[in-house]
Amino acid sequence: MLELFVRSLDASTVFTIAALAELIGQRSGILNVGIEGVMLFGATLGFIVAQTTGDYLLGIIVAIAIGGIIGLIHGFFSITLGGDQVVSGKGIWIFGFGLTTYIGNPYTGPLNLPRIAKIGGASPFFYIAGALIIIVWFVLTKTSLGLKIRSVGENPSVAEVSGISVSKIRYLCVVTSGMLMGLAGAVYALDYNPVWNYNFIMGWGFIALALVFFSMWNPIILLGGSVLVGALWQLALNPQFVLPGIMSRYLWRTVPFGITIAALLVMSTKWFRTRWGAAKPEALGLPYKKE
Amino acid sequence: MPQVSLSRGEMVLEARGITKRFPGVLANDNIDFDIKGGEIHAILGENGAGKTTLMNILFGFYQPDEGELFIGGKEVNFKSPLDAIELGIGMVHQKRKLIPAHSVIENIMLGHPHAGNILNKNKAKTEIAELSEKYGFKIDLNAKVWQLSEGQKQGVEIIKALYRGAKVLILDEPTSALSPPETKNLLESINAMAQHNLAVVPFITHKLPIVLAISDRVTVLRRGKVTAQFKTKDVTEKSLAKSMIGREVIFKLAREEVEFGNPVLQVENLSANSERGHLAIQGLSFSIREGEIFGIAGVSGNGQEELAEVLAGLRKTVGGRVLLDGEDITHHSCLKRWRKGVGYIPAERNDVGSIGDFSLTENVAMNYYFDDRYAPGGIISYQKLRTMTEELISEYGVATPGPEITAKSLSGGNLQKLILARVLSLKPRLLIANLPTQGLDVGAIEFVQNKLLQAKKDKTAILLISGDIEEALALSDWVAPIYEGEFMDIIPAKDANMDIVGAMMAGLRPKVETK
Amino acid sequence: MKIGSYELKLEKRERISGFKATFISLISIICALLLFSLIFLEAGVNPLIGYKEIFSFAFFNPNGLPLTINRSIFILLCTCGFIIPFRAGLWNIGMVGQLYAGALGAFAVLYALGARPTPSIYIAPALGIPLMMLAAGMGGAVIGGIAGYIRGRFKVNEIVATMMINFIGFWIVAYMIKEGGPFMNPVGRSESFDLPYSLRAPQYMGLPFTLVVALLLAFLLHWFFAKTRLGYQIKAYGLNPSAARYAGINPVLIPFLVFILGGFIAGLAGYHYFGAVPGVYKIARNYLEYGDLSFYGIICGLIATGNPLAAIPISLLFGGLTNGGRFAQGKLQTGFGVDYALLGIMMITMVAFQFFYRYKIIRVKHDEEITDVGAIR
Repeated sequence: MLELFVRSLDASTVFTIAALAELIGQRSGILNVGIEGVMLFGATLGFIVAQTTGDYLLGIIVAIAIGGIIGLIHGFFSITLGGDQVVSGKGIWIFGFGLTTYIGNPYTGPLNLPRIAKIGGASPFFYIAGALIIIVWFVLTKTSLGLKIRSVGENPSVAEVSGISVSKIRYLCVVTSGMLMGLAGAVYALDYNPVWNYNFIMGWGFIALALVFFSMWNPIILLGGSVLVGALWQLALNPQFVLPGIMSRYLWRTVPFGITIAALLVMSTKWFRTRWGAAKPEALGLPYKKE
Repeated sequence: MPQVSLSRGEMVLEARGITKRFPGVLANDNIDFDIKGGEIHAILGENGAGKTTLMNILFGFYQPDEGELFIGGKEVNFKSPLDAIELGIGMVHQKRKLIPAHSVIENIMLGHPHAGNILNKNKAKTEIAELSEKYGFKIDLNAKVWQLSEGQKQGVEIIKALYRGAKVLILDEPTSALSPPETKNLLESINAMAQHNLAVVPFITHKLPIVLAISDRVTVLRRGKVTAQFKTKDVTEKSLAKSMIGREVIFKLAREEVEFGNPVLQVENLSANSERGHLAIQGLSFSIREGEIFGIAGVSGNGQEELAEVLAGLRKTVGGRVLLDGEDITHHSCLKRWRKGVGYIPAERNDVGSIGDFSLTENVAMNYYFDDRYAPGGIISYQKLRTMTEELISEYGVATPGPEITAKSLSGGNLQKLILARVLSLKPRLLIANLPTQGLDVGAIEFVQNKLLQAKKDKTAILLISGDIEEALALSDWVAPIYEGEFMDIIPAKDANMDIVGAMMAGLRPKVETK
Repeated sequence: MKIGSYELKLEKRERISGFKATFISLISIICALLLFSLIFLEAGVNPLIGYKEIFSFAFFNPNGLPLTINRSIFILLCTCGFIIPFRAGLWNIGMVGQLYAGALGAFAVLYALGARPTPSIYIAPALGIPLMMLAAGMGGAVIGGIAGYIRGRFKVNEIVATMMINFIGFWIVAYMIKEGGPFMNPVGRSESFDLPYSLRAPQYMGLPFTLVVALLLAFLLHWFFAKTRLGYQIKAYGLNPSAARYAGINPVLIPFLVFILGGFIAGLAGYHYFGAVPGVYKIARNYLEYGDLSFYGIICGLIATGNPLAAIPISLLFGGLTNGGRFAQGKLQTGFGVDYALLGIMMITMVAFQFFYRYKIIRVKHDEEITDVGAIR
């Protein structure tokens, strides 16, 4: 049971970092539905580098770097070219999915390295994720940079006439966001589930995306959501702990996805929105072009 | 960087020979303009006269093709609005440049160079409170911007510009969204600014009395050129109008007396919520007969939009009834209402009234796709619709190469003509016209107003929503000033005047004398 | 950008003509293939030889061509399933789930008719095949309809919703065909029971009749959008939802309807691959790969800019590329997943080229006025 708890914290760590990454981008108005693809890139390249060099740290650095590069590409399509962010995000997802399938294939199988050591019973990334939550919350609410980011996400033309470079802020956010997505992928592939297989992120990126909507763009609520989803995922993998023998293990696997839809549904009702207020960045997903 | 002095009477900003071309248009032609400290220098001109371009050049959004700008006697080149802001130019746009979800203090601090890496709100609050006090603005700095009235939002923008050190304040249509008392407050604040040696440049389209009341000098633009420059004390409303439009008379309304018929629309005790779930209109009751124009006058945001949407079937009611020709249509869908003869001209002609990427024919189809004469058996006859579109184009004088062109390539006036033509071609029983002349030039305004009067003659019942008291009085048979979702009164137009309606729009209840 | 006395400028397009769109699409495909050459080079294969192998197997080999066409039918159906919501401005990423539901629907009919124990059972094809197709369509429609309904009624983001449903679909299929699931093959492998011999789809030269169905559907869809009332409503909603609502178009019904229609067609794609393609005739163990193949429907729909007729040649090309890619990977001993790499590169190139659908590059002589007057606002 304790093991299950630790495992679920590990899963939550990945969800937290990934969703936090998406949240940073979204607060600046950039939607990246390609998060799954960026994570796949980070996970696959991080895995390959760690596997071939035997150095975890190098793997993680490479994962962060590739995440940043993909973030930059997404930024180029959606900020500089002013394209549809959904098209670009979809593109990045399928690009990541297709290319990592090819690149990673020769490395199919488990990582030949000793597992990353736990600190105080939890993965070191658990603490990193916690620190990231606090940093992001502080920057967004207490600093000038955070005000700029939020303003750019709410209304870029207002930010522009206030003398803020919308492009710079958005690039900053989308690249940071990509780097953290890459890190999330690396944590998944090097710590949580160090066995490479094609498309092995298994929809976690999309769940992280849904988590951001669920968190109402608030890093603190996001942490709560990630912990819940992490626990849910672990329980779905090990249904025998809760309700042994009730359902096929395959059907249990559908539960996290079903609950995500249900959560989105509740959040989208008029009741919820009028009661809890719409926190969605107004300019989310809209290309901004200087007039 | 030249510093701007703040002494009275000294030249602050000077523009010489400003020329700006756009493909096919000479927007600004050799414009000279200057302003001194402590002066209020209005710029007057119709839509399309080149005001917006000049404004954009003055605050660095555009760069002029020819001509020079001087600040404090030194030549400057603005590469972006940021350069202009740094040199003391403050810009208050007509469309609010604020973030509704953020607090007032956050909006004011946004982009301020001394905001610090970690926001120091307390220090800023004291400084800003001082500024507000000095110029007579009363605003809660902790409130969210969406909670403020239009006048308060404008105040926030002015304070924001001043807090960033503006010496020259450019105001675009400063009174357009304000109620009469708010206008009075604003004019007082502007005077206070001039007293503290700031230079103020209001850009104004129509409101000549405002120009006369406030400015020291006025520059009139027409077709990109300066047609006249006056000291305000030397001019009258008439002479200003003449140099602005180039001819004497403004309006020729073909208004005839029409005998009213049966009641078409009856509204009983109607209430509806706004987007945020508050009551936007409450307990409205009125009726409109055939051939009658019922005018609702109000500052935008007092429930007019919601009323129009409720009547068009686009918003749910929370109470009351709507009857059309005696039949209860309170719960009819929008489509059902179109079929029954409710025609709606929305205020947002680009975002709601038309589909920019559709051709004109396809736009006309918006009111005909459900009509079995034009779409027998669910198959749309684009041939028939095209013929009709061509007829409407020529009847309403829509300037366009043809019906295949996309709607987004039409100018505002032509697009409004097309929408009007489309809706009126249905011969509606009831026409809801929400701000039908907003943002149009004089010629188009005249055209639209005459078409409304024509529809009145054809026995259409018309609900006219207007922000312009003059328009409401000139066209309507009844005027209902609306304030916070309630009618202050329903007055026969012949008994109403600008002062009474203006006061009511601001929530006051002056006594109306019947003639 | 300046070149000599000329300056290159970007200009927003008003409306793109079909011819220009085709031209841009062609260029984008060529660019993607050029980029893809890098994969060949990396694998130590001359790209020219690589492409020759791909194309000659895909289009000129008597064994390869039917495989290509069967893939193309599948991609075309998925494209149509994508295009209908796309014209309404909505993203159907749920073809995967919908085609799984289609496959399950078709096999549910067989199960109900008692076909599980043995494929030798006789079921009249005139009854069985239409029933299977109908059930497949309905399965896809139900799955699509869920996403469409919650999108229309509650504005739940359809991308996230369809994606979640895809994963649910994936695991439900696993449950149905593996570890004692109801549709498990009696012989006990991780795949569904076999299609009865009597219900194998009528075919001509190795091509099942679904080819005709897919082509007819594409033409029908083209006509549907060009002429019908419902097509008009969908287009209006896609371009400007608030204007569409103002014109009396039901903003809840349209998303619901387009996802039902799109889901129905994607469901047919499920029938096609698991019930009509020679040599499959069951929900195969590698059903996930067919799910992945459906993503070509998205690319194809985007390249065709939502035009179902343009989708026909493009899906043929993609059918050939993936099929030939699979073959080349074996023959030239490149790594596994060449077709996946192609998918990815195709997609990202496609995204980059989206730009040119909206802008054109015009050449202006440097010291002259721009003569192109454009619209006067």
